[in-house]
Amino acid sequence: MSVSNEVLLTVTGLEKSFGENKVLKGITTEVKKGEVISIIGPSGCGKSTFLRCLNRLEEATEGEIKFRDYTVTDKSVNINEVREKVGMVFQHFDLFPNMTVKQNIMLAPVQLKLMSVEEADKRANELLTRVGLLDKADSYPAMLSGGQQQRIAIARCMAMNPEIILFDEPTSALDPEMVGEVLHIIEELAEEGMTMLIVTHEMGFARQVSTRCMFFNEGVIEEENAPEEFFGNPKSNRLKDFLSKVL
Amino acid sequence: MKKHSGKRRLAKFGTLLIVLTCVLSLAACGSKVKENTVLSADDVAGKTVGVQLGTTGDTFVSDLETDGSNTKVERFNKGADAVQALKQGKIDCVIIDEQPALKFAGSNSDLKVLDEEYADEEYAIAFAKGNSLRMEIDGALEELKSDGTLDKILSNYVGEEIGQHPYVSENNGSKGTLTMATNAYFPPYEYYDNGKVTGIDADIAQAFCDKLGYKLVIEDMEFDSIITAVSTGKVDFGMAGMSVTEERKQNVDFSVSYAQSKQSILVRDPEAAAAASSFSAKFKADFLDDARYNYILKGLVNTLIITVFAALIGIVIGFVTAMIRSAYAYTGKPKFLNLLATLYITIIRGTPTMVQLLIMYYVIFASVNASKILVAVLAFGLNSGAYVSEIFRSGIMSIDKGQTEAARSLGLPYGKTMRFVILPQAFKNVLPALANEAIVLLKETSISGYIGLNDMTRGGDIIRSITYDAMFPLFGVALIYLVLVVVLSGLVSKLERRLRANERK
Repeated sequence: MSVSNEVLLTVTGLEKSFGENKVLKGITTEVKKGEVISIIGPSGCGKSTFLRCLNRLEEATEGEIKFRDYTVTDKSVNINEVREKVGMVFQHFDLFPNMTVKQNIMLAPVQLKLMSVEEADKRANELLTRVGLLDKADSYPAMLSGGQQQRIAIARCMAMNPEIILFDEPTSALDPEMVGEVLHIIEELAEEGMTMLIVTHEMGFARQVSTRCMFFNEGVIEEENAPEEFFGNPKSNRLKDFLSKVL
Repeated sequence: MKKHSGKRRLAKFGTLLIVLTCVLSLAACGSKVKENTVLSADDVAGKTVGVQLGTTGDTFVSDLETDGSNTKVERFNKGADAVQALKQGKIDCVIIDEQPALKFAGSNSDLKVLDEEYADEEYAIAFAKGNSLRMEIDGALEELKSDGTLDKILSNYVGEEIGQHPYVSENNGSKGTLTMATNAYFPPYEYYDNGKVTGIDADIAQAFCDKLGYKLVIEDMEFDSIITAVSTGKVDFGMAGMSVTEERKQNVDFSVSYAQSKQSILVRDPEAAAAASSFSAKFKADFLDDARYNYILKGLVNTLIITVFAALIGIVIGFVTAMIRSAYAYTGKPKFLNLLATLYITIIRGTPTMVQLLIMYYVIFASVNASKILVAVLAFGLNSGAYVSEIFRSGIMSIDKGQTEAARSLGLPYGKTMRFVILPQAFKNVLPALANEAIVLLKETSISGYIGLNDMTRGGDIIRSITYDAMFPLFGVALIYLVLVVVLSGLVSKLERRLRANERK
């Protein structure tokens, strides 16, 4: 669980507007290999939009995003190559209902010719064992609980061997008793040194797992710090106010 | 579950049977037909008059329509339909050429022809303007007149010696083929007999073709389509008991006259005992005599061919255009193809299917000698494609945006996302709508008769024009459509269940 000096992601002056509504108003930051960054903030502050700009599910209006040698904001860059390395886990899991659990996991590595069917099958079994759902390999998503589905979604993302994983409120759509099982897996990934950006409302989790916390407010990073300082000694009034409400 | 749906199906069928029985008994009761009120030509004014659309009878009574006498004119596509309406009391008289009038009166004991006659007229053959074939045939007609062949043919159909002088063709047509347009609901000039168009016109045409060394092909179509077919060159000549009129002369050239006729008034005969033939006799006449069920069976084959191939074309076109439009909605490309696809869908959905079919036959394929089935398959396929396109597109749009995002976030390109994630789900969602479109298509092919294609509906119509019985041919045809639709929807719901089942493991 060590942060290296190798920079994976650089964001410079990122702005994003939806029509008249400016959601991101100039975000500048960088992400080093091994960092686990929790992004918190009130709803509508641009956390999710920020995350979605990083793999270009949203087009940035202004500014630049670089992932290693790829300029994500450059239209001529092959975004699919970036996405192979920058995985994403969604609030609503978004498993493919027309495929079994295992097919969900194997689809991208096989179709993108990163693995043979045998390799992908082996990898899927490993990942399923790891998330504790090997017995569900041939089930369809509709038969699984929300917590199970999200664990599969994480496995699907892991199958691509990403360098960064973006988590967009991974536990927000779950019943309370299932939140733990999903957080537990993310925690394990953190321990292995996976670089992650996590938009979350789970403060305890953020405090425990993160190497850095960001507080988003009205389209800017209002405050960022290591978790102890961030939660123990917040500087800005807005963060103080926010934490007093949620803790 | 299965038992339940079986019971429900049984209940549905039972209800259907009850309704059918009610309709049948109602038809059998034969409510009293109105008394005849047209006793002379003077009585025609102020009555409801039936004519065949575009005939001289039509031209004649059209004057009455506007002269303040309150005469109503009902125009029918076929003489036989007008006769049926007369028998049922829906109209008061039918004005039609003399020979068909006599023939209709002869085969319907409850009808008679008034002694008085309307204007004399001459029948002639129609050619495209400037077609030199006219001179050739004029010469042949003159020869046939002078050697007595024409009179002999006429006497085989009219007068005392009916059936005694059949014309026998002895030529094999070395000079090529001539196509004749006619409307085979106009006995004795042209009508169906044993599945073949026969009559005075058919025999005369055969005679001059024999004389000139041509092979004769007869195409049956709506009467009001004949002039168009001739002037656009779809056929070589039109011959359908057609009188020479000024309006027609503006569009076609006419041959020398080959027969004289008058317009007659056909009315109900109050004297005649209501010739109520029994159900079984009607059934026998409609289907069994001369193996008339073959008209419907052959039509059924055509209906199925058109439906199946049009559906295939529709699915291909619909799929391609839906993919273009969805790609455009998602990526903004391809602009030009999207414009084209949108234009296509707008035009097809904005105009009636029948108009499209007629345009395909009379405009697009005007100068090409393509089979009618092919024309119908193309017209219905193009039509269906627009609707299928919208069905596919709505299916694609109905899939949650998260599915696309999840697939794209794994690095899958747009095409693979569509193929493996979106389309399989979309297809399952649109299956009921697709089945519905197939059902609509099947039934829509019943307008094929308008380009003279013998589909199932037209098969029933031909029987109707022979037996003058509307009920059995129409019910028979309706029943077959119904069975086809029920079977089709049954197959689809089976497929649907199978597709859903594998998600419930």
